[in-house]
Amino acid sequence: MEELRKGFHHELDEVRLSLARLAASVIEAIPRATNVLLSGDLEGAEYLILADDEIDSRSIALEDRCYQLLALQAPVAGDLRQLISILKMVGEIERSADLTVNIAKAARRIYGHSLDPKLRGIITKMGEQAQQLFTSALQSFEENDVAIAGAIDDMDSYLDSLQRQFVQAIFESHAAGSIDLQVAIQLAVVARFYERIGDHAVNIGERVLFIVSGWRPENKGAARHDAKTADGTYGIPLPNLNVTEE
Amino acid sequence: MLVLGIVIGLLVGVFFSRLLFLQRRSEKTNNQIDAPPSEVPLSEVEVHVAELDSVLNAIPLGVVVTDEQGNIILGNHIAAGVGILRHIDVLVDEAVERIIKKSRESNSAVRETLELFGPPPRTLVIEAMPLESEKSIAIIEDISERTRIDAVRTDFVANISHELKTPVGALSILADTIRDEDDLKVIHRLSSKMVKEANRMAQTIDDLLELSRIELDGSVVPEPVSIYSVIAESIDRMAYFAAQAGIGVVSQLPEDDCIVKGDRLQLVSAVSNLIDNAVKYSEKGDKVTVRVIPSEASVDITVSDEGIGIPQSDIDRIFERFYRVDRARSRGTGGTGLGLSIVRHVMNNHGGSVNVTSQEGEGSTFVLTLLRPSGNTAVNNI
Repeated sequence: MEELRKGFHHELDEVRLSLARLAASVIEAIPRATNVLLSGDLEGAEYLILADDEIDSRSIALEDRCYQLLALQAPVAGDLRQLISILKMVGEIERSADLTVNIAKAARRIYGHSLDPKLRGIITKMGEQAQQLFTSALQSFEENDVAIAGAIDDMDSYLDSLQRQFVQAIFESHAAGSIDLQVAIQLAVVARFYERIGDHAVNIGERVLFIVSGWRPENKGAARHDAKTADGTYGIPLPNLNVTEE
Repeated sequence: MLVLGIVIGLLVGVFFSRLLFLQRRSEKTNNQIDAPPSEVPLSEVEVHVAELDSVLNAIPLGVVVTDEQGNIILGNHIAAGVGILRHIDVLVDEAVERIIKKSRESNSAVRETLELFGPPPRTLVIEAMPLESEKSIAIIEDISERTRIDAVRTDFVANISHELKTPVGALSILADTIRDEDDLKVIHRLSSKMVKEANRMAQTIDDLLELSRIELDGSVVPEPVSIYSVIAESIDRMAYFAAQAGIGVVSQLPEDDCIVKGDRLQLVSAVSNLIDNAVKYSEKGDKVTVRVIPSEASVDITVSDEGIGIPQSDIDRIFERFYRVDRARSRGTGGTGLGLSIVRHVMNNHGGSVNVTSQEGEGSTFVLTLLRPSGNTAVNNI
């Protein structure tokens, strides 16, 4: 059968390509941020901040393009799912780029403080794992691969456990007197940044599932709520505020 | 530039014959749609195109040709996948598209260097230029290896001057001070410092000499060497030093001794260098383990520590002469920065290899792999 709406599909392909390129830029930024943090490379930090501005501008352009296509082409079914998901994924990617900048800025704040090898080791691992998650997200998107998209969530639990290990190592390092409180807090926040990048990758994976199969992401909590209110009762019982002391 | 000229000439040739070919093929699909392709003999043009295609793919550069709309009409294998990693391919595609656009707009050649962090880091030079009839060509060259070697060479010169100049500078200042000094106590203190600096320099020069001897001595006279004795002597050499640092060195050997062919002294030097490093970068109370793992064709000697480990960004460079992960620390540990270069050269001379895995904060493991003389090829390699 001759393909209908050739021009539209060509444009949709271009939008997909732009999104993949945006994601690739973030995949490139993650190890750079880790390096900035570990080697105190202030020039590298500056580069990441500028690179993020570029990612922001490209995200906005891509979003506009999606709105245009929605308005002018009135896509349906799979095409509609694609466009809506890409709109959401742009946000995830753009936010992840911001997080790499946050890591770079934290690196500037702790500049000159040396970190012990155990902390450095876990930072390296967290950076690698976050990059791996994002690479898988990109791959699942490019190839519409549901299996990879589904696996990202499991890979994320390793990143989460690294974050917990890291916080533990911060406590130990602080107790041993090798880092001061200010550095300890900055590092704890950095761990959180990596963990959030992983969460964004998971969200992208869920969006890919939605594009391919129509499965709605994060429907566990929503489903629970729907089941509760299915019998017509409405609202969530409020916690009792009038607690009197006895 | 000459190569580029040839490439372009070839490409223009390929391009036009490709057009002819495509035209012929579309005619064919229209007229003889049921004919199985194997029964159609290749025409002269098709043979020509196939030849040029293989020539194009043999060129060690990425080549892309685009039409007036910027669509790719021709490209070779390398252009199709420069990176080992998915996101690098995506970023390279993007850069090629952008640079071709730039060159079309300015109607001149545009050359840009693209540095990608990886890991592993890649440096690519992308050059785009307009061709006749609104077409464009982009050439992608991977200069990662060249960039790396340049960095090694520059660092080597800087490092060797640093290693030799520091003790010489100290000596000259100390000698200058001692000249006008009457107090015997001070003279004694200064002169013992001079001895220390002189020793340090002598150590560096000794290591350099040993390294150049091993480098030149490519032809090791192979004689049977017992791995047991190599390990025993290496540990023995380092025993005092390790005991002083409060670090235990243990060995795990297989039941039977392994015999390899090579130079015993060089092998002892390699293994003891690894133990030396393992001890230096461990904390008091840590353990260094030396294992021998024999297999059919080779023997692995591994030296593992529980020390500070090696940062990921330095791990590819530690075998370079005078390369230091942390200069501040290396002054304290007193090495010359040549140990691992010596290890690598010894292994090269023996047709073996040295590999390292490391995690910061958990420790490092170095693996020496030596071929066993059982097979004839193994002996010849030595």
